[in-house]
Amino acid sequence: MPAGPPEPGARRRLPGNLLAGAALVLVIAAAALVGPWVAPFPYDEFHIRDRLKAPDAVYWFGTDEYGRDVFSRVLAGSRISLFMGVAATAVSLFCGVALGLTAGFFRGRIDEWLMRLMDLLMSFPPVILGLLILAVTPPSLWKTVLAVGIVYIPAIVRVTRSVTLELAQEEFILAARARGENAGYILFREILPNAWPPIIVEASLRVTFAILLGAALSFLGMGAQPPSSDWGLMISEARSYLDQAWWMAVFPGLVMCLTVVGINLLGDGLREWLDPRLRHGGA
Amino acid sequence: MASPPSPPLLEIEGLCVSYATAGGTLRALSGVSFRLQPGEALGLAGESGSGKSTVALALLGLLGPEAALSARRLRFGGRDLLSLSPEERRRLRGGAMAIVFQDPFTALNPSLPVGRQVAEPMVFHRGLAESEALAAAIGLLHQVGIPRPEVVARSYPHQLSGGMQQRALIATALAAEPELLILDEPTTALDVTIEAQILDLFESLRRSRRLSILFISHNLGVIHRLCDSVCILYAGEVCETGPTKAVFRDPAHPYTRGLLASLPRLALGPRKRLSPIPGTLPDLEKPPPGCLFHPRCPYGDRRCGEQSPLLSSPGPERSVRCWKAQEIRGVAWEEAAGGNGRPAARGDEPADQAVAPLVVVRDLRKRYRLGGFWDALVWEKPEGQGWPRPAWEPKFLRALDGVSLAIAPGEVLGLVGESGCGKTTLGRTILRLIDPDEGEIVIDGRAIARAPERKLRPVRRAAQIVFQNPDSSLNPRKTVGEIIGRPLERFRIASGAGLRRRVGELLDMVRLSPSYASRYPHQLSGGEKQRVGIARALATSPRFLVCDEAVSALDVSVQAAVLNLLEDLRRELGLAFLFITHDLSVVAHLAHRVMVMYRGGICEEGTIAQVLRPPFHPYTEALLSAVPRIDGERARIRLREEGPAPEFAGRGCRFQGRCPRLLGEICRTVAPPVLEPLPGHRILCHHRLETLAAVASPIADEAPPPGA
Repeated sequence: MPAGPPEPGARRRLPGNLLAGAALVLVIAAAALVGPWVAPFPYDEFHIRDRLKAPDAVYWFGTDEYGRDVFSRVLAGSRISLFMGVAATAVSLFCGVALGLTAGFFRGRIDEWLMRLMDLLMSFPPVILGLLILAVTPPSLWKTVLAVGIVYIPAIVRVTRSVTLELAQEEFILAARARGENAGYILFREILPNAWPPIIVEASLRVTFAILLGAALSFLGMGAQPPSSDWGLMISEARSYLDQAWWMAVFPGLVMCLTVVGINLLGDGLREWLDPRLRHGGA
Repeated sequence: MASPPSPPLLEIEGLCVSYATAGGTLRALSGVSFRLQPGEALGLAGESGSGKSTVALALLGLLGPEAALSARRLRFGGRDLLSLSPEERRRLRGGAMAIVFQDPFTALNPSLPVGRQVAEPMVFHRGLAESEALAAAIGLLHQVGIPRPEVVARSYPHQLSGGMQQRALIATALAAEPELLILDEPTTALDVTIEAQILDLFESLRRSRRLSILFISHNLGVIHRLCDSVCILYAGEVCETGPTKAVFRDPAHPYTRGLLASLPRLALGPRKRLSPIPGTLPDLEKPPPGCLFHPRCPYGDRRCGEQSPLLSSPGPERSVRCWKAQEIRGVAWEEAAGGNGRPAARGDEPADQAVAPLVVVRDLRKRYRLGGFWDALVWEKPEGQGWPRPAWEPKFLRALDGVSLAIAPGEVLGLVGESGCGKTTLGRTILRLIDPDEGEIVIDGRAIARAPERKLRPVRRAAQIVFQNPDSSLNPRKTVGEIIGRPLERFRIASGAGLRRRVGELLDMVRLSPSYASRYPHQLSGGEKQRVGIARALATSPRFLVCDEAVSALDVSVQAAVLNLLEDLRRELGLAFLFITHDLSVVAHLAHRVMVMYRGGICEEGTIAQVLRPPFHPYTEALLSAVPRIDGERARIRLREEGPAPEFAGRGCRFQGRCPRLLGEICRTVAPPVLEPLPGHRILCHHRLETLAAVASPIADEAPPPGA
């Protein structure tokens, strides 16, 4: 077998799916950023004479029942959806990493309690749990973000806990304990830097779940409220016009689909790229 | 071995394997040639990265598609392997040519019963029916020395001990009645007493089945024990071949000599300092011009760096790839390497008993509950009538069962024992990385057995640890400088420029260049990582170091350098060591005193000279006779093997389950008394001293008599 340590300067090729995913996500993120300035119409402007118009040169994605431009709405919706995905994932990431590190490092009773609590959360179907959290108070975007974030905490906790459990067995952790380092140092300086790759990969995949769940909640009327142009809400509103205006549902759905595919490709690519077995040149 | 008239079973000539890499071509093997006669055992020796396993994989046709293979000749049993179709290769593999890999714990499928796994090749290669094959498998398991083979055949791998798993694996390899058995480090993962049994098994199989064996190992002792001839590989080239005994007695190639000089010897008498091979393996993507070994060779001259040497023959059936093989005969490696100016490793100076000990441990106990809460629940049926009642009766593993020891400043206490005996637990408990259940620990005058963590700070500074696994002991996300600098920061020993200077000094102390401070662990070799681990432990200027198998994962040449380094540090800094290892030779080389541990307790302790001479504890005697060595043969004592779960009920002698000298009931019920043949030499055994003393020493006695 090839001998010796890998070359210090050895570089690896970026995986193709990482590049494709990153490109897709970049395009959509750019659309979300500059959307209001490039959109042909304001997303909530009525064009009463042009109601339910099929896609043409003026209305690229057609118009809805109030004559609003679907393209502009989809563009504006990308902001909400991406924000929803990223912010909700940030919530799960923050709570999940903290809980996962705690459970994996301290083990024992606290681990037992935390993990049973996570099992409880996971035993609800995500949509039901989201509805449950949102049902008690009037809906708002922030609350949807929070609810979706809570729904996906267990996934992050499990990943974090399992890498922590593994890393806590490593001899460099023992070495840190042999110099009497406190738990904070060991968790944040020794364990966390090594735990990031699988957590980041998991989180990037969770973004898509969060976008979908957010859309589903909006579809059910518990997320974004009209006249907001959330993709889920748009599809929900398009339901009654499906036989006359297919474009009302298809375009938001298509863009959502592309976003999810892009983020998933990015996540898979990250997984390949960050895999330590590959990084160390197979040695 | 006299050359038999029959044609060789295996002929390899000019075998080259290379891999295309980003930086060019990596030549894993260049021009490897050897022959194997039917019934012969050939040892393939070399350090990691020398290409040993690549040879095995090339023979089996298991190299990945990215490997480019070429050979002038690659014949097995008269057939040209290179012209066979993939399907024919597949039939050959596991059929006429079988392999046993290093790690029995991963080589068996955990979800299939052992019997099915042994039977499978018989169905595939010999066309037996399932039931016939199973019956034959049981017979085979019996042949490889597995007791109660019918039961074992139905068991799953995790229910067997390591030695039993390795035997089962050997049975799978034998199932298709191979002519050639390729063994890739088959005993490296096993304890030395088990290793000895497995080697016995190979020897008897060879005789009874006229098997040819290609034995791949880094362990020269094991090769010496089993093989007729040996082939030494270096950086993908054969540097020396010949009959084993002749090669080891009179090595012709400088590399062979260096390997032998690096090997700590299990012998009495004043220690010689080891002479490691300097440097590291060459980069096989850009091999040096001339002889591949010349950058590390103390005999080398200009020609060696310009022209690749050809094979020459220094004796019957021997060949060596060195220009100077004739000139350097009689010039010992040590002489050429100039290592003799340094003091001997251990002057056998007795540790000063007058000085107060630095580390004292009294009656340390630690036990672990086996299984979870529900496993401990048993249902007890009361006498006569009534419902069974639940009772909670947990089982315990006594990892430490009343261990006491004392280590003086500047003293090396060796702790030997097989895996699972509790030696690692002991080392970690002394440093309070594990909390003891009972007992006292005093380090540098401070009782720490029950002290809270914040009170441990001065002890944490004075007592440090070096770990076994260089890959796991350094945080991969930190640079060497950060790793070594952290203890300095934490104990406020240095900061800023002073810290950087001190890191440089520490690196220098472990013979690494200060430029290593900016490297990451994955850019270092195993030996370099281990040095960084030692530097980190030394950063706080400790007075006591626990070395937990600190050299076990290293190649012999690197191991020798690290052992020399530890010895120098002991001399320079007056460090005391608890040196934990399974390798008796290393202990004999480095330690002043040694303790032999078995299942959580000490069964013998004393100075090296006392423990290596009779009287022996029966376990020590078995351990010593099991160590495969390159000097001389001796009587062998073989231990029975116990089940995989080490449970000692706490009554009688802890060695009762495997003792070859069991006296009877007394050993099972009464704790053995302490015999003290000489002051400081303690043996826990029911035998009388005279009986224990009346055995021949399994190791060569080169020393003046004891007490002199």
